[in-house]
Amino acid sequence: MTTGAIVATVVMWLVFIGALWFSFSQMGKGGKWED
Amino acid sequence: MAEVRERWTSRYYFLFAAIGSAIGLGNVWRFPYLTYKYGGGAFLIPWIIGLIIMGIPWMMMEFGMGRYFQRSAPGIFEGIGKKWEWLGWWPVFAAFLIVAYYTVVMAWALRYAVSAASVAWGMGEAGAEGAGSYFFGTVLNLSSGPGVLGTPVLPILGFLALIWVALFFIMYKGAGVIGKVAVWTVSIPWALLVILMIRGVTLPGAIDGLNYYLTPNLAALANPEVWFGAFSQIAFTLSLGMAGMFAYGSFIAKKADVTNNAFITSFSNCATSFFAGFAVFSTVGFIMQSLSIPVGEVSGAGLGLAFVTYPVAISMMPAANALIGVLFFLCLFFLGIDSAFFLAYGGVISPVMDKFGLSRVKATAIICVIAFLIGIIFTTNGGLYWLDIVDRTVSFYALLITGALACIVVGWVFGAGKLREHVNKTSDIKVGAWFDWLLKVVVPAGLLFVVIYGGFMTDIPAPYGGYPTWAASMIWVILAVTLGLSFWLQAVKTKGPPKEVSGK
Repeated sequence: MTTGAIVATVVMWLVFIGALWFSFSQMGKGGKWED
Repeated sequence: MAEVRERWTSRYYFLFAAIGSAIGLGNVWRFPYLTYKYGGGAFLIPWIIGLIIMGIPWMMMEFGMGRYFQRSAPGIFEGIGKKWEWLGWWPVFAAFLIVAYYTVVMAWALRYAVSAASVAWGMGEAGAEGAGSYFFGTVLNLSSGPGVLGTPVLPILGFLALIWVALFFIMYKGAGVIGKVAVWTVSIPWALLVILMIRGVTLPGAIDGLNYYLTPNLAALANPEVWFGAFSQIAFTLSLGMAGMFAYGSFIAKKADVTNNAFITSFSNCATSFFAGFAVFSTVGFIMQSLSIPVGEVSGAGLGLAFVTYPVAISMMPAANALIGVLFFLCLFFLGIDSAFFLAYGGVISPVMDKFGLSRVKATAIICVIAFLIGIIFTTNGGLYWLDIVDRTVSFYALLITGALACIVVGWVFGAGKLREHVNKTSDIKVGAWFDWLLKVVVPAGLLFVVIYGGFMTDIPAPYGGYPTWAASMIWVILAVTLGLSFWLQAVKTKGPPKEVSGK
């Protein structure tokens, strides 16, 4: 693969994994799921 | 007895249902092509920007307003002010028409899953040459134009009936069962995409395809067309503007999170798109090498990619052709089914129950039958043309216009700050005042940019898709009729929701 394609791949997976890791780490810090 | 709104039975069931509704056929057949077309890796920059400043705030609004009013779309806008109820009904009509033709595409996928077991369009170069005529001739028996409707194609009609029966049994017990089914209808296509990706990247020529998919052309960022492509993809990929996410939000408990669920749903959807691109473009590279043709002759978006290009690759594969073919079309089917029950249940059935007080079983049965009957039009010999025209009408114009108007009304009339305070009370992640301005200005501006630049500026000077003027004009006729029906429903007095759905 070209260097640009590799960089795009790595950066995007870091963005997705980072965003989802942050979101899941915050789960349960707000309200309750049940009424 | 206190009336109780139906609820997701667990947070994970809700997340799977929301993610499943967002992930659909477009993740596979639209996103990878747009990325290649609009600058490769560079396209990902405006795409992620669009997700953050437009997609996520829009989703937070739909979840949050559903949770606030404990109603589906029409009830929410009626709650803002009686004169706004029509704005909840217009996207309901859009969802209804979308699911009517979306299920027909799913029927094609099932038809192809059967055909792929014997690679019915042929093996080797003969199969590659015959894939197009197999789709348009054998499968669709396509007529010469939208004026020649012909008769329903029976195998497609049969699969369509099966799909609606399955949808009825998934939906008639409500959110509790939908959440449980969604776990499977999301996990199965994810697993199939992994298999297809592994098969794709191990084919000769795959790297060339991936280079076309991802090599950045940063100069493309100066082109407004690229930003249009990115913002339009965000507008279409999250299943917003179709009324359903309001209803899904209304099934969230009153003390449960909103913002973090929107983050997880949005990023999961976009990660799936990005991943699907590897499966698609590795296969594109394989076709380029096998047939010695340039990328421009292979890659495409939409139906052509799924039902012509991929079958070409299946014909040319060195081994396991039938297996990969069956898995690919089953993947398409499963990608579609949770979007279908989202559109039908959240988009149509829940609003109908809220307005007319029908039981869930009765409302589900009525909507399934009517949507099936309308779907028959799209199974005819001329059905593909009408599918395209109706898709342009509701999945483009109605979605974008009602989405922009909904954000404006919620942001300026209901109050973006009031919504923000409501969701912040119980959400895992608190959002600041920036959310108010994104909802009030940026999201509507982004959606209007897409509809004006990509819609009015092309469809008004010349008929859409090169269709005869009378056929292309149906876009404006359908928009006007559904808008009129929305105002009529606003004027209709009813007894309100049944006990099983009311949050009062």
